[in-house]
Amino acid sequence: MRVSIDRDRCTGHALCRAAAPNVYVLDDLGYNVTPAHDVAPELADEAVRGALSCPESAITVED
Amino acid sequence: MGSQTGDGRSPTVDFDVFAHGSMASSDVAWRELRGRCPVSWTPRNGGHWTVAGYDEVATAFREWETFSSERADPERCAISIAHSPLPLLLPEESDPPRWHGYRRILAELLSPGAVERMRPRVEHWVDDRIDQFIEDGHAELAHDLSVPVPSLVTMEWLGWPREEWLPAASTYHEMAKHIPGSDGYRAAGERFAWLATRAAEEVADRRAHPRDDAISRIAAHEVDGELLSLEDATSIVMLTIGGGVDTTTALTSAALVHLGRNRGDRERLIADPALIDPATEEFLRFYPPARTHARTVARDAEFAGCTLHAGDRVLLSEISANRDQRSFPEPEVFVIDRFPNRHVSFGIGIHRCPGSHLARLEFKTMITRVLERLPDYELDEGGIAEYPNWSMIGGWATIPVTFTPGRRR
Repeated sequence: MRVSIDRDRCTGHALCRAAAPNVYVLDDLGYNVTPAHDVAPELADEAVRGALSCPESAITVED
Repeated sequence: MGSQTGDGRSPTVDFDVFAHGSMASSDVAWRELRGRCPVSWTPRNGGHWTVAGYDEVATAFREWETFSSERADPERCAISIAHSPLPLLLPEESDPPRWHGYRRILAELLSPGAVERMRPRVEHWVDDRIDQFIEDGHAELAHDLSVPVPSLVTMEWLGWPREEWLPAASTYHEMAKHIPGSDGYRAAGERFAWLATRAAEEVADRRAHPRDDAISRIAAHEVDGELLSLEDATSIVMLTIGGGVDTTTALTSAALVHLGRNRGDRERLIADPALIDPATEEFLRFYPPARTHARTVARDAEFAGCTLHAGDRVLLSEISANRDQRSFPEPEVFVIDRFPNRHVSFGIGIHRCPGSHLARLEFKTMITRVLERLPDYELDEGGIAEYPNWSMIGGWATIPVTFTPGRRR
């Protein structure tokens, strides 16, 4: 599973990090700065939960 | 004026956002409007578009190039459909590029990390307020908790003189309690003049004599190497009071009333305190403190099948978006562990509430402490009063309760 962030769409709600602290990395202002990457299988559910938490739909999850 | 008669704008409905004096009445009106059309024109209140569908509200919030937050009329607040005397609110009433410089300082001051460092003060003020009434066995939870806590936290963080914390912050509470055009609303408007004057004095004082507080940081903020004007810095300070005070109050009041009336939800929260995280999002979805925001069309555009003209006013409805069945299963049901829950109560896009992290911390602390310290509180239903108008801010004026007395901490 691969996650990618639309940095233009992220506005710093920081809910992805609350839902998936082991997947998403925020900068000092709360914006998601996670590079696009393949998620370890054991973190897949968490990654999806973080993406579903984003009010801006800024996180894309692909199998 | 063409825009007031509709001038070919369609679909046209007769919708008066100020006609609803209770939450139930307002909720029903939005449900009926949403069921008819996600976007429509109403001739009421000067004539404006009304955006009621979730996707349409989220899109309009995001597309600031079309849906501007800049003030077109200097005398009229851009983000309220009321003819409002509010002083200019920055960064909310601005678009990029100038928005960036204003937003930056609030993003720094209210970042998740900065808010986490405020946690001890938030916990202090919540326990301090509960200590004032915990031995009595009765309280009025708006006056004694949900109004003062956000005020105390915000004004202390700003560095405002302590003796003015409650009078200054309650100005916004008074504003929300009255219908635009009423005597009470006019009186609240006059208090704004005092508050704005005081804010300007505080900003000027901190620019000359900086301290370790948020007003000093805002007063010293530079954009492209230049200090903010004193006027703009004052506007940002005013925004933090208005945004930081009555909104968190309204959300907390709503939750206290809800948990008073819905024992099952209260018992689930007491049994499983971690449930406060999803519950907070559901309280936000179901009881958005800011129920609507206005925008101004910046350029002619087609939107959801409607033809918008530059200069048209637009009312975006958070409450309606949050109850859209296309986005939320069983939207009229409060589901304490609802997930996903992409409500728009903090806004979407560039004007996303910069205080959202602090608001969540204050709210969760207040609700968690109430359920720890007065878990058996009972509402005195006869004494509960809602705000008289649910057009923009929805909340409660009074929440009397009784409970088994406890000990001060």
